[in-house]
Amino acid sequence: MRPLALGLVLLLFASVAGAAEIRSYTVRIQVHDDGSGSVSAVVKIESAMPGAIAIPIGFAKVTDLRLTQGPAGMDIVVTAANGQTLVQAVLPGGVPPALTLAFGFSVQDVFLPVTPGPGERSTLPEGSRVFRHALLNSQQAPIRSYTAEVMFPDGLRAHAIREALPKLRKSEVGPRVQLDDINATPGARLQVDRLAQGDSASMQIELVPQSRSVAWLIAGLVLSLAYLVYFKDLVARRAT
Amino acid sequence: MAVQTGTLTQEDRLSALLDMEKMILSSKGREAQGPAERWMRYLGFPGGILAFLLVYYLPAGAGLSGAAQSGAACFLLALIWWVTEPFPTYVTSLALMFLLLVTRTSAPKAIMDVLGMEVIWLNLLAFILSAMLVKTRLAKRMALGLVLRFGHQARWALLAFLLMQMVLAPLIPATAARCVMTLPLMLVVAAIYGSTEESPNAFGKNLMLLNLICISVLSSMTMTGSSANLIAVGLIQSMGGHRIYYMDWVRVGAPIAIVTTLLMWVLGQKLLFRIPEADQTPRLTGGLDVVRRKYEEMGPLGHGEKKALAIFGLVLFLWMTDVFHLDWFGVEITAPFAALLGAVIVLFPRWGVLQWAEADIPWHLLIFSAGAYAGGLALDDTGAAEWAVRMLFGGINLKALPFGVAFTFVMAIMMYSHLLTTSKTVRTMIMLPIIITLSKAIGWDPVSLALPAALCIDWVVGLPISGKPNVVLFSTNQYSVMENFKYGMLTCTIGLGILVASAATWFHWLGITPAFWAVPQ
Repeated sequence: MRPLALGLVLLLFASVAGAAEIRSYTVRIQVHDDGSGSVSAVVKIESAMPGAIAIPIGFAKVTDLRLTQGPAGMDIVVTAANGQTLVQAVLPGGVPPALTLAFGFSVQDVFLPVTPGPGERSTLPEGSRVFRHALLNSQQAPIRSYTAEVMFPDGLRAHAIREALPKLRKSEVGPRVQLDDINATPGARLQVDRLAQGDSASMQIELVPQSRSVAWLIAGLVLSLAYLVYFKDLVARRAT
Repeated sequence: MAVQTGTLTQEDRLSALLDMEKMILSSKGREAQGPAERWMRYLGFPGGILAFLLVYYLPAGAGLSGAAQSGAACFLLALIWWVTEPFPTYVTSLALMFLLLVTRTSAPKAIMDVLGMEVIWLNLLAFILSAMLVKTRLAKRMALGLVLRFGHQARWALLAFLLMQMVLAPLIPATAARCVMTLPLMLVVAAIYGSTEESPNAFGKNLMLLNLICISVLSSMTMTGSSANLIAVGLIQSMGGHRIYYMDWVRVGAPIAIVTTLLMWVLGQKLLFRIPEADQTPRLTGGLDVVRRKYEEMGPLGHGEKKALAIFGLVLFLWMTDVFHLDWFGVEITAPFAALLGAVIVLFPRWGVLQWAEADIPWHLLIFSAGAYAGGLALDDTGAAEWAVRMLFGGINLKALPFGVAFTFVMAIMMYSHLLTTSKTVRTMIMLPIIITLSKAIGWDPVSLALPAALCIDWVVGLPISGKPNVVLFSTNQYSVMENFKYGMLTCTIGLGILVASAATWFHWLGITPAFWAVPQ
C-alpha cells in the first residue's frame, strides 16, 4: 500500500516542484552476461522546493530501487506511464535549493532481441548483442547535462556505434557517443548538454565477442604463401 | 596515357604526339623500373596481408571499436598494395571494397554509394570536357602556344605551369576541374620534352608532380579555395569566437603557398628528379622551329575550337560565379552540375562537338577513386581516424610546452594527417574542433593554432589517393607512388618549416600568434 499512498501524495503536490531544474544527471550501467544490468544514478537538482519531483529513466523492467543519497525521510518509487518509466519522490519541507539525489536499481533485458523472427534473416553474426539506451525527458524540468555510461560484460567489445542521438550541433565537439574505459572496464559514454521537455538522447552499440576468428589468419597466410610461390617469376625471370 | 607514336622522323614523331585524339587513358599497370621495384611488388602482396593481420589481431584499444580496427587494417593493406603495386591500383580498390564488407567495417550500401559521390561525377564529367578540348584541337593549340612562349628551357615551361595554376586557383575552387582542364596541356608538353608513359623522364615527373602540388597547395591561398577552407572558417567563428575575413586568410595563406611551390619548382629539378642538361630543351630535331611550324600549320581558330572555347567558357563562368548563383537562378549550380551542363552541350546532336564513343572515360580511374574513398570514409565513419588523432594529441602534455613547440606539434599532425584520410572536409571536421578546444584548454587564443592549421587543409599531396587531382595525374603513369610520396612529403615538410618560421616572426607581428617561446599562463 505504501507506493499507492506515495502516488496519491505525488498527485497532490504534482505542480509544486515545477520550478526545479536538473543541473546534471549521470547514469552508470554495468551490463551483465545474462542481459541484466545494475544501474546507479546521480541527479543534481537546482531550485529545489518541497513537493513532488519526477525523474525520467531510460529503462523498463526496473526492480530493487533504492535511494543511496537524499534528504532524510524522503522515499522514492518507480512509476510507468505512456511507455515512460519515472522515478518519483516527494521532497520534504526544508530541502536546500541545491541538492543531490543518488539512487540505484536493477534492470532486465538491456539488450535488444537479435534472434530473427519466422521468415526473417539475421543481420548479425552469432554471439553478437545489441545494447540500446534511450532517455526521453518527459518532464517539465530541463536536464542541463545528461551522461550515460555503460560498462560492457566480460568477453564482449563494441564493434560499432549504430545510433548516437541527438546529432551534434555545430558548436559541439564530437563525438556524441564515445567508447572508453570506464572504471577500467571497456564501455561507452553518451553525453548531451541540454535536454528540454520532449527531447531525447539515445545510443545503440553492437557488441561482439572479444576474441577474433582465426580464419583471417589462416586465409592470409595461405594467400601470401601461394602468391610467393606462383609469382616468383616476378623477381626470378630478370635475375637469371 | 598511352600514345601511339610510331617510329618515324622527329617531325612525324611530334605529329604523332600532338595527335591527342589517339591518346587513351591507359588502364594497364606501370612497368616496374629496376630490380628494387620488382622485389617491392613481389613482397608487397604478402606485406600488405601481414600488416592487415597485425592490426586486425591487435588487442582492442580503449575507445577503438572493432569496426574501426578492421577498417584501419583494411586501409593499411590497401595502402601497402597501392604503394608497392603488386597489381594495378584499381584492383586493389576493388579488393579493399570487398574487404570492408566481409570484415563488417562498412555496410554494403555505404561501399557501393561511393561511386555516386560528387567527386566521381566531377571526374567523369571533367573527362568529357577534356575530351572536347582534345577532339577540337584546342588543347593542342594551347599546348603549342605555351611551349613556344615559355618552352625554351624546361625550367621555364615548369614555371609557366606553376603560374597558370596560381592564376586558376582563386578562380576555380574545384581542384579536380583545374586538374582535368590542364591535363591535356601537361601531356603534350611532357611529350615534347621526351616524357611519355613508356619512357617517363625527370621532366615528366617534375611536370606532373609540380602541377599536383600546385593544384592542391595553391588552394590554400584564399578561404574560398576549397569548401573545406570555408568549413574551417565557420568552425573558427562558431567555436573559437573569431571571424576570419577574406584578406585575413590571404595575407597568411598566400605567401606560404607561393613560397613553398616556388621552392618545390627549384628543388624538384635540382634535388629530387634532376633534369639533365640535354633534356632542358625540347627533344626535337629542329627544336622550337618544329613546334612553331606545327603551330602555324594549325591556322586560325576553327569552328569546332570556337565552340569548345564557348562551352568551356560557360562552364568556367559557372565555376567562378557560384557565390552569385542563388541570387541569379534561385539555386546554386555546383561544380559537377556546371560540368554536367557543359557535357550536355558537348554531346548534343548537331550542335555538340563530341559523340559518346569519342569521350574517353577512364573507368579504371573512377574505380580506383571509389575504392580509395570507400576506405577513407570507413576510417571516418567508424571513428578510426578521430581515434588516431585523439591518441596523437593525448600523447603529449601541450600545456607544459612553450607555444612554439606546441605549434610545431599541432601543425605537424595537421599537415601529415592527410595520409590517413581521403576527404579534406572530414579531416577538417575532425581536426579543427579538437585544435580549437585544445587551444582554449591550454590558454592560447584559438586563432593562433586554428588559422595556421586551416592553412594545411588543402595540402593533400602525399599519395595518389590523397586527393582528386592526385588520382587523375597518377593515371598518366609518369611517376610511381613512391615518387609521389617523396615529392609530397618534401612539400609538406617545407610548408611546415615555413609555417613554424612564420609563427616565430610575422604571424606574431600581425598579432595572430603569441611570442614563440611564451608559456601558457
